[in-house]
Amino acid sequence: MKTKLLMACAVVALPLLLSSCGSSDSAAAADTAPSVSTPSVLVEDAWVRTTTGAKDTTMTAAFMSLTNPGGSEIKLTSATSPVAGTVQLHEMAMKDGKMVMREKAGGIAVPAGSHAHLAPSGDHVMLMDLKQPLKPGDEVPLTLKFSDGSSHDLTVPVKKFTEEEEHYHPSQTPTPAS
Amino acid sequence: MTGGVVALSNQPVPAEATPSRVVSPYGDHQPAIAAPTPKHAELVALNLLSSTDRAALGRLMRLWSTDIVALTEGRPPPGDTAPELAVPNTALTVTVGFGPRVFTRPGLTAYKPSGLDDLPVMRHDRLLPAWSGGDLLLQVGADDPVSVVHAVRRLVADAAPFARPVWRQTGFWNSTGPDGKPVTGRNLFGQVDGTGNPAVGTPEFDATVWADGPEWFRGGTTLVVRRIKMNLDTWDELTRSEQERAVGRKLSTGAPITGTAEHDELDLDARDADGRLVIAENAHARLSHHSENDGRRIFRKGLNYVHDTGATRESGLIFLSYQADVAGQFLPLLTRLDAADALNEWTTTIGSAVFAIPPGWHEDGWLARDLLA
Ligand code: HEM
Ligand SMILES: [Cu+2]
Repeated sequence: MKTKLLMACAVVALPLLLSSCGSSDSAAAADTAPSVSTPSVLVEDAWVRTTTGAKDTTMTAAFMSLTNPGGSEIKLTSATSPVAGTVQLHEMAMKDGKMVMREKAGGIAVPAGSHAHLAPSGDHVMLMDLKQPLKPGDEVPLTLKFSDGSSHDLTVPVKKFTEEEEHYHPSQTPTPAS
Repeated sequence: MTGGVVALSNQPVPAEATPSRVVSPYGDHQPAIAAPTPKHAELVALNLLSSTDRAALGRLMRLWSTDIVALTEGRPPPGDTAPELAVPNTALTVTVGFGPRVFTRPGLTAYKPSGLDDLPVMRHDRLLPAWSGGDLLLQVGADDPVSVVHAVRRLVADAAPFARPVWRQTGFWNSTGPDGKPVTGRNLFGQVDGTGNPAVGTPEFDATVWADGPEWFRGGTTLVVRRIKMNLDTWDELTRSEQERAVGRKLSTGAPITGTAEHDELDLDARDADGRLVIAENAHARLSHHSENDGRRIFRKGLNYVHDTGATRESGLIFLSYQADVAGQFLPLLTRLDAADALNEWTTTIGSAVFAIPPGWHEDGWLARDLLA
């Protein structure tokens, strides 16, 4: 994925990367009982990067905006798609002086009353072991599961990504979190 | 969290609520057609790549539909590389069209709207390929030129796997009076231009503009784009009354020279003391009037343009005409004007293109789905 940390999303004010996700996410997931009326996360402007023209056509990423209108943090905990053998939640991190992607421990947090932007160079949903090429304008089913027990079935458009290929798909392989 | 997903804070809150300038992207018709002419607009014609078959065109329309919804609502479309340029309340609209050649592609030949053909070259035409033809049309309008160029940039970028731009035209129009009220607007000759149009919302408008077939095209229309150079230098040599005689309307208010108010009917039979027609035989408003054309009407929406090359300026009108049927309504009018119009002395058409404008779509759909799904 990206070797440079570019801006890529409008919101600077948000605590996007929570560095210490040590506190167990399963605890958070279990903690969903209260406030029945709490609305779930809104998912907007989701898209998947095309594999057309990519060096490695077995994987790509999905991006989107998540909005949490409720009063307590909700996490994106997992995702699945019939087009991918494996789907992971990824973040970008510095490793040996380079930005690399790795699995995000504990999922992607959407703070209470705020947003999380999944964007190139930031957190993303990684689609791996793709079963077919994804052409621009194709539509990919994607299911997101959240820590409040909700899940979202999306149909996500495939788009060409205008940033330079090399920023996005360097030759090194992903570093899965241990 | 009023401002959508991007702007959370640090945007000054206006003291009074300003009226929403968001034009819904949804509807039975593409929304810009019946909306007021935008202050700023850009038209882009694109040619399909040879690899873009019917299925691929469908994929592009789905992508554009998503983009159009986001852009008109003032949000960056998915994957926007300059998301801060997407702002709400600019009355942004996007209109998409298909040129005649689209209907020569496999799987689409049976669906061509009748009469959708490139116009024959007129005697006064001096057409340049650089301003003519095209397989797809994007027309983007807004109150603000930054929003226009941003939307065009996104839409053209997302079309890159499918189609390549062949011409672009930028224009402007002022349809707001000094008191903030809507007015017809003026072209660069100084004429009030658009008065004779059928009024939006009338049966006359609907009958003039909306096509009722083929099935997929019901609620669609066709658009003629003519880039018409206007010779302001020789026009300015005329007296005011010569200028008014060329059209048959007054420069001050746009009223017929036989009347007093802009929307007064033209009196095409009125004669002066010497028995001569007050609105001349070759006056533009007479020759193009529906009563002189077997009732044929069109719906015109011009954009002024200037095109500078070094210190040299070319001025003109991006003449836009909507009608249900190009061959049945527009072409006879054009032929008549080409033969006799007084305005021909100061105008030269240098570009020409024709597009089918698919009907609008609703929240569960996308552009031209009934043709391409
Ligand atoms: C640069 C070129 C042109 C200029 C400057 C121009 C200007 C005008 C003006 C000032 C009017 C009177 C006000 C109004 O009703 O809008 C008018 C009317 C009209 N023009 Fe043009 N025009 C041009 C080209 C054309 C062309 C190419 C066509 C069609 C082939 C056309 C069709 C009409 C029609 C249908 C009317 C309305 C007549 C009526 O019903 O009263 N015009 N034009
Ligand atoms: Cu990744």
